[in-house]
Formats: sequence, structure tokens, C-alpha cells
Amino acid sequence: MEEKGIWKFGTREVVYGAIGAALYGVLAWVTNVVPLPAAGNISFRPAVAVLVFFGVAYGPWVGLLAGLIGNTLGDALTGWGLYWNWSVGNGLMGLIPGLAVAMIQDYRSRRGITIGIGFSALGIAVGMLFASLSEIFVGGIDLSTALVGYFTPAFIGNLVVVIVLLPILMVAYQAVAAGRSR
Amino acid sequence: MLVTWKYRPRDTFVQRLDPRARLIFLACMILAVFQFWDIRFLLPFFVISLTLYFLARIEWHDVRRAWIFILLFVTFIVGLNALLSGRGGPLEVLQDVSSRVIFQARILTVPLVGWTWTVRITVVKAVFAATQLVRILTMAILAIPIPYTFDPSRYGVAFRQLGLPDKAAYTMDLAFRFVPTLGRDFGITLDAQRARGYEVDRLKGGIISRLRRLAPLVVPVTMLAIVGGEDVVDAMDLRAFGTRPRTWTVRLEYDTKDRLFIAFGVLLVVVSVALNILGYGDFWVPSALLAGG
Repeated sequence: MEEKGIWKFGTREVVYGAIGAALYGVLAWVTNVVPLPAAGNISFRPAVAVLVFFGVAYGPWVGLLAGLIGNTLGDALTGWGLYWNWSVGNGLMGLIPGLAVAMIQDYRSRRGITIGIGFSALGIAVGMLFASLSEIFVGGIDLSTALVGYFTPAFIGNLVVVIVLLPILMVAYQAVAAGRSR
Repeated sequence: MLVTWKYRPRDTFVQRLDPRARLIFLACMILAVFQFWDIRFLLPFFVISLTLYFLARIEWHDVRRAWIFILLFVTFIVGLNALLSGRGGPLEVLQDVSSRVIFQARILTVPLVGWTWTVRITVVKAVFAATQLVRILTMAILAIPIPYTFDPSRYGVAFRQLGLPDKAAYTMDLAFRFVPTLGRDFGITLDAQRARGYEVDRLKGGIISRLRRLAPLVVPVTMLAIVGGEDVVDAMDLRAFGTRPRTWTVRLEYDTKDRLFIAFGVLLVVVSVALNILGYGDFWVPSALLAGG
């Protein structure tokens, strides 16, 4: 089993950062094609669960790169422009769950899943808060619009997705990891 | 499922520029536009953005959806917010009570408590809304063409040569290369699940149950990518990846037009910051409009 230093940045982190980014970008793009459930102005992006999962499974660097590059890549696929502040916000949303990687030994256990969801919730809060507040400068919106119009729907939507899909991904990952004797 | 980039090679001035020059110029424009709330100072930036947009020669049918989204967003969220509340800008707009009223109407009165919501559009708020529209559109017009004109295979090398660490830049390069493979895997998984009777287009139930039913798509694609990733890690380790600085097959070189383009961007920032320090560029309302009342 490989040493699990959370700030290690080697070949594995490069490859899984790239895979995480590509998956995040492609799934974000696909969810524009496949109809998704929505309530009010809250939209659900299942790709977010994949992003935080890569952080939880492979550490903060992988989460950061998957979010940062994945959002840029998603923008390149959808063609809606390049918005650096949302890419940085997505990077933070992947980085913070990555801080939990050393605390999780069993991805199937209740404790592991609770830690994963807890750090992911923190990551979503910090990442979306950064992106929403930066819109005050980039988009010229006011604080209440940033918090009510941007942050709250993004936070709630992403949190629901993570609570539903992250445990499933973690349980599946434990089986895959056990299969190749991590 | 075929994942296609929005990018297409075109022989245009914008696409002949070094990608780094374009990224540096974009950063310069954002910094420069931040300095002003005066529509007279913002309009030249708007013209520059629009000129670059037309020089990119992107076909309308490609960008139509992006434009509809941006225009709706800018008009309804930013424009109306600025017009109705005056929020998001300088304090003088938010605190404006003295300027000429263009439109005023009581929209809502709450029975019993008697609370009212009155919409009051003043000259100051109208000018502010116009200023905001110009400001946001200037940024959006710069951002929209990038996916259409930026070669995906140049992102990694461009950021590397801008100073991003080798491994991070290579991660970016690798991510763009993985996209077609993952798109194909996603398509195969979707077809396989449909063959088993899975109806992704008609997910039923509540929000949580519908999200859970996306798992048969998301989980296999993710796990397949993870398992396949091990082979890539091994292949790269066997080639001693990361032991020395890597070489890139593409090497970007600035030419005269790139240097001039960057110099123009830097000049815009320097002049804008200088004007701001000297006290120019604060929110401005034409005196003729103020005096009109």
C-alpha cells in the first residue's frame, strides 16, 4: 500500500487529477444534454459528486486540479465562455474534501462516509462562497444577490447531489480498491 | 456519445495570436475595466472587446445559445437589479434619493401591516444600469470566444510557459486528451444500461430518487476510468515521468504581433490605474439628464 501523505504530488496525482477533471468536464457537459431534476432556481449537477469524490479518494491536489481544470474544460465543451472565478471556486470545492483523505481508512464504513460528506459540505460552502462573492467584482452584482441568487442555490443543489451520490461512489471505490489490493 | 470541442481552426487574427498573449491580454482587460464606473471610460473597452470578437469570425449558429444565455442573464439579473435597486455599484447610486424620477409605481401592499413595495426608477439608477450592462458585456464578449478559438491541445503548454509547474500543466494537457475516451466510455455505458431497460430520459420519482437513479451511469464510468488510470500511472512511471523537467512537443514563441498585443494590454492597465489614482472614472451621470427635472 502506498504512503498516504495528503500533499504528495506524484504521477498518480497527475493522472487522477486529469481523469477527475475530464470526468467532471464531460459529466457537466452531459448534464446539459440529459434532462435533470430541478426545483425552483436550484439546479443539480451530478458531476459535483464525482469532483468531491476524487478529492476524498486521492487528496487535495487531485481535488483542486480536477475542479480547476474540469470547470475550464466544461466551459470549453459547452461554449459558454471562460470564467476563471468559477474555476477557482470549483478547485476549492475539490481541494477541501481532499483534506479528509488521511482520515478515511474504509470508504464503506459509516465513519468514512460521514467524514467524506462533512468535508465535501465544507468544500462546497467555501468554493461556492468564493465564486459567488467574486462575482461582486467580476459581475458587478451586490452582496445579497451573490448570497441569495448565487451561493444559496449552488450550495443546496451541490450538497443534495453529494449526499445522494458520494456514498454510492465511495462504496463502489472501496470494492475497486480492494480488488486491486491498494 | 461523441464529445466534440467547440474549437475549430480558423485563419483569423485572433487565432494566429499566441495563446499566452491572449490570456495575458484578457487579464489586463479585466484589471483595467475594474478601475471605472464611468460609462464614457468603459465604452472604449467595450469597443475593443467587440472588435476582437468580430476579428475571431465565429459563426452565429455556434454561439447563438451562449449569447441568448448571456443576454438573458445580463438583462434580467444584472440590468434589472441595477435599475430597480441600484445595488452592486458605488454608494451614491444606492443612496440616491434626489435625482429625477423616471418611473414610480406601488407594486405591492401587504394587507393588515400596510407594508408597501414601491419601484422607483431614477435617472441615476437608469444610467447605472446602462453602465453595468456595458461593463458586464465587455467581460462576456471577451470570455465567449475563448472555447471557440483556443485550441484544446494548447491549454497545457500555454499555462506551462506562463509559469505553471510542469506537473500541473501536464495534468491540464492530459485532461483534455482524456475527454474523447471518457465520452466514448460514457456512450457505451449509456447504451449498455439502456439495453438492460434503464430509461435515463424518463427518470421518475422525487429529486433524491431521481438523483440516485443516475448512479448506474455515473458509477461505472467513474470506476472504469479509475481502473484504467492505474495503467496510465504505470506507463508514465516506467518512462520516469516527473524525475526531470519534461519537454513539450509544442513550443510557443512570441512574435512581433504577440508582443504588441501584450504591450497594448499592459498599457491599458497602466493608463487605467493612473486615471483612477488621479480621480477619473468615478460614476458619472450626464448633467443634462440630471438638470432635466
